[in-house]
Amino acid sequence: MQLLKDTYQQQAMLAEYCRDGIVPELKGVKAENLHHYRRLVFNIASDALETCYPITHSFLPKEVWEKLVYDYFAEHKCKTSQVWRMPMEFYDYCVKKDIAGQLGHYFLNDLLYVEWLELDVHTMEDIPYPSFTTKGDWFTNKIAINPEYKLIKLTYPVHTTAPTSLAGKEGTFFLLIYREKESGNVQFMDLSMLYTYILEQIANGELLKDVLEEANNLFQINDILLLKEHAEKFITDLQQRQFVLGFLK
Amino acid sequence: MSKQYTGIGFRKDFAEELLSSTVLKPSFIEMAPENWIGMGGYWKKVLDKAAEKFPITCHGLSLSIGSPDEVDVEFVKQVKKFLKQYNVKVYSEHLSYSKCDNAHLYDLLPIPFRQDAVKHIVQRIKQVQDILEMPIALENVSYYTPVAAEMNEVEFISAIVKESGCNMLLDVNNVYVNSFNHQYDPKEFIKKLPLDHVAYIHMAGHEQISDTVIIDTHGQAVIDQVFELFDYTVGLVKPVPVLLERDFNIPELEELQGEITRMDNIIAKKWQIADAIA
Repeated sequence: MQLLKDTYQQQAMLAEYCRDGIVPELKGVKAENLHHYRRLVFNIASDALETCYPITHSFLPKEVWEKLVYDYFAEHKCKTSQVWRMPMEFYDYCVKKDIAGQLGHYFLNDLLYVEWLELDVHTMEDIPYPSFTTKGDWFTNKIAINPEYKLIKLTYPVHTTAPTSLAGKEGTFFLLIYREKESGNVQFMDLSMLYTYILEQIANGELLKDVLEEANNLFQINDILLLKEHAEKFITDLQQRQFVLGFLK
Repeated sequence: MSKQYTGIGFRKDFAEELLSSTVLKPSFIEMAPENWIGMGGYWKKVLDKAAEKFPITCHGLSLSIGSPDEVDVEFVKQVKKFLKQYNVKVYSEHLSYSKCDNAHLYDLLPIPFRQDAVKHIVQRIKQVQDILEMPIALENVSYYTPVAAEMNEVEFISAIVKESGCNMLLDVNNVYVNSFNHQYDPKEFIKKLPLDHVAYIHMAGHEQISDTVIIDTHGQAVIDQVFELFDYTVGLVKPVPVLLERDFNIPELEELQGEITRMDNIIAKKWQIADAIA
């Protein structure tokens, strides 16, 4: 490196100041103007987080949100070169630091995760759609699904319930988040554990008839006809929602 | 009506409006590759439509050419792929740093105007250009304080441009902002720059927040004094693409077109060219 140690230190001190706001002793600066850098840098980070996490931002008291963002930016070194991806690192930071536990908002990890995934699914790189036909049999042909989705498990129903009403609502919740091909809109769909299982197996390329036989035993339903009837309605509903495409060619 | 030479920064805030507009007619659009690389879905469709309609130039944000850190080779390769995919012929960046000790800051910090920094940056420019297999243009950035300077701004910029052989993006508004903030004559400053290396020009608005400080916001209309400086600059450099940057407080598109037309009229008086971006 051609840089002298002192030049590096001056640069590092300015950068550190922009992250933590603690005024350094820099050489030859207009001290009265230094704060503009901290303000401009911090505002960019803060705006990106507010845009990604509007529900968390409006739920947490202003001073709590501001301290959280301050601590994050001071303690965490943002790795991504793309500022719109940076909020993912904020989620990781909050999980690692157990911010949910510290604040007593035990649903916070789930809320941040769902808010991040809404942005992530909306913007994630296009995934090639499979070749499919609309003619076939749901049970004996492989089902083609929209590849642009996330299937997640939550402990709190943060996607259906306001943060102020989430206390004591812990349980097991499954959520399908997917992107509509034409509009690019992100859709959310609540799923039961059974339907989550069915969807996962279909996504793995299994035939629905096999999946249902497995599910019939696994979930101790013991009524394969009823299961088939409900599964067909479920798949048809997913087709209407543009998630199930048809049948793999 | 004069021919149009001026492009505009492509912002998501008015992307759809621009794509269907019969009012705003830039000759090209400029985008930050970081804001689009790896993006799919709705915005990828918008990007592809924009690329069908306009030539694209790219103006990066995260290269951090003045960083003490190592060059992020993977990032540069991603940029290269993007430039190729969208047939981008002009890639510019900022003569500043936005990453230090492996932490991105997402804004432009002033580099110490020092000889060792010049050597360091020249070596990095060459490394980046070798990966990209094309020249980059570096922009004179606005700054609100020098840091540990041992030479003046124009000496610093000139040394980097001359020693690296890179192109220069001359941001006329930044010259104005810096001349106000640091009390120098903007025309004298421009005259001393390596003008034969200028490959691109930026124009923008700013905000004066006190008697002594202007912030380079890109959120206001270009003021008359900056147009006057642009007129002066255009008389000194060869024909190059010119861009209007407007990032915030987006006005009606007629207003943006009015600024573009004003720039085009200035250009038309001074440059005898068919197409600055061709």
